[in-house]
Amino acid sequence: MTALLEISSVGMEYKVRHGLFRTFHHTALSDISFTIEQGETLGVIGRNGSGKSTLLELLTGLIRPTSGTIRSPLGAVTRSLLTLGLGFRTDLSGEDNVIVSLVLQGYSRKSARQLVPKISEFAELGPFFYEPVRTYSAGMRARLGFATGTHSNVDLLLIDEVLGVGDIEFRDKAEATMIERMGSEQTVVFVTQAPQQAARLCNRVLWLEQGNIRELGDAKEVANNYQQASRPSTAAKEQSARR
Amino acid sequence: MSSIFRLLDIIDLQARAKLKAEASRLYLSYLWWVLEPMLYVLVFYIVFETLLNRGGPNFVFFLMCGKIPYLWLNKSIVNSGGALFENRGLIGRIDVPKIIFPYITLQEMLYKQWVGFLVLFATALYFDSSITLNWLWLIPVIVVNYLVLVVPSLIAALLVTWAQDFRILIQMGMLFLMFVSGIFWDINDIQNEFWRDFLLTANPLAFLIDSYRKILMYNQAPDLIHLAWLALAFAIMIVIMHRIYELLRYRLTRLVLEA
Repeated sequence: MTALLEISSVGMEYKVRHGLFRTFHHTALSDISFTIEQGETLGVIGRNGSGKSTLLELLTGLIRPTSGTIRSPLGAVTRSLLTLGLGFRTDLSGEDNVIVSLVLQGYSRKSARQLVPKISEFAELGPFFYEPVRTYSAGMRARLGFATGTHSNVDLLLIDEVLGVGDIEFRDKAEATMIERMGSEQTVVFVTQAPQQAARLCNRVLWLEQGNIRELGDAKEVANNYQQASRPSTAAKEQSARR
Repeated sequence: MSSIFRLLDIIDLQARAKLKAEASRLYLSYLWWVLEPMLYVLVFYIVFETLLNRGGPNFVFFLMCGKIPYLWLNKSIVNSGGALFENRGLIGRIDVPKIIFPYITLQEMLYKQWVGFLVLFATALYFDSSITLNWLWLIPVIVVNYLVLVVPSLIAALLVTWAQDFRILIQMGMLFLMFVSGIFWDINDIQNEFWRDFLLTANPLAFLIDSYRKILMYNQAPDLIHLAWLALAFAIMIVIMHRIYELLRYRLTRLVLEA
């Protein structure tokens, strides 16, 4: 296997500005090293505030780490982040959003237009597809985002907790698509709160805790350990055992 | 190279999508493109011709020559201010050069401005001037006009992304500019030669408005040497702004995402 991205000693510190002179420092990630192999599906799990979203932003290339390096040995890697919070211009229609996204993700205008019906069908939005995104429910936005993301033409697809939304039927469809993409050459990094899902879908899982890697390895093993540690009683026992 | 074409494609695609979205929100839709400049003519007509009885028969035409280019500049700069925040969704998903976002706004304004210019030319024909060869000078004047408004628009997008407070300053600045660009008065009426030349040199908009009037009202060619210098100076500034955006690429992403 060849490495798509090499992450070495990456740290990320935020400086948040309040007003003119007051700033607030926060370390989101400290000294993280691992590699993303070409074609693998890597799951990232961890509690809220463990640095998962920051890691995704760094891997997407949106921001640069404050320390350490992210190298791509094979040359430029095109990438796109699929996320729930942001994603669309709410004043534009679903259709226009899809076309703009696809062109940004490497399609020509013509091939983007050809893909539109397929995405529209996958997202199951019906006539809403031609309405402004501001009229969509959260589930509809997520469906549109997922449909666009999985049809993108990028080397590395990063997914931030979007698989958990939508009704059960769509969730199943989304998982099936994920599994299909995993079988292909697509490299995927995906963040989830559900360890069982990570165990099901991923080759490897990375467990983040307070900005550090707690564990990285076989998906089932790490997901299991994470689940054990997350149960409050177990965690308490563990802590007392350490003492 | 192909990536530049792709970015141009995205700029055009999104500008059109935005225009379509805006039109779909309004009952009169695309009709507003014509109505808006026409309403300005009407307001000026009522105030200056009917109420004040000022300035001779083609004073409204004189005003339109100033107001329509000014509106183009004004809308481009003010709307570019919010360009990066508006596209938070894309900025948070894909690493793209941030400079395309103010250009999307500029492209949107350019499409609308063509209608404004058509209204201006129709006004010109109504007030007894006819189309002459000199009208061809409009082409370089409009091109330079575009170069001149790109620079402050790119700066506005940077400043507002850095601190939203700049929106207020920009609006004040635009008001100031409206008064010193010779929209309501003729810059050639300034008796003091030094101040007249100073204003024409220091304020490119004043020079451009004067050029539009020379062509459309007086059937003259604009000052071509001055025009060429303007083009060169602003082209250089545009290149510098592109460098600055490239240097601030990641800083801007963080500013937008953390705001």
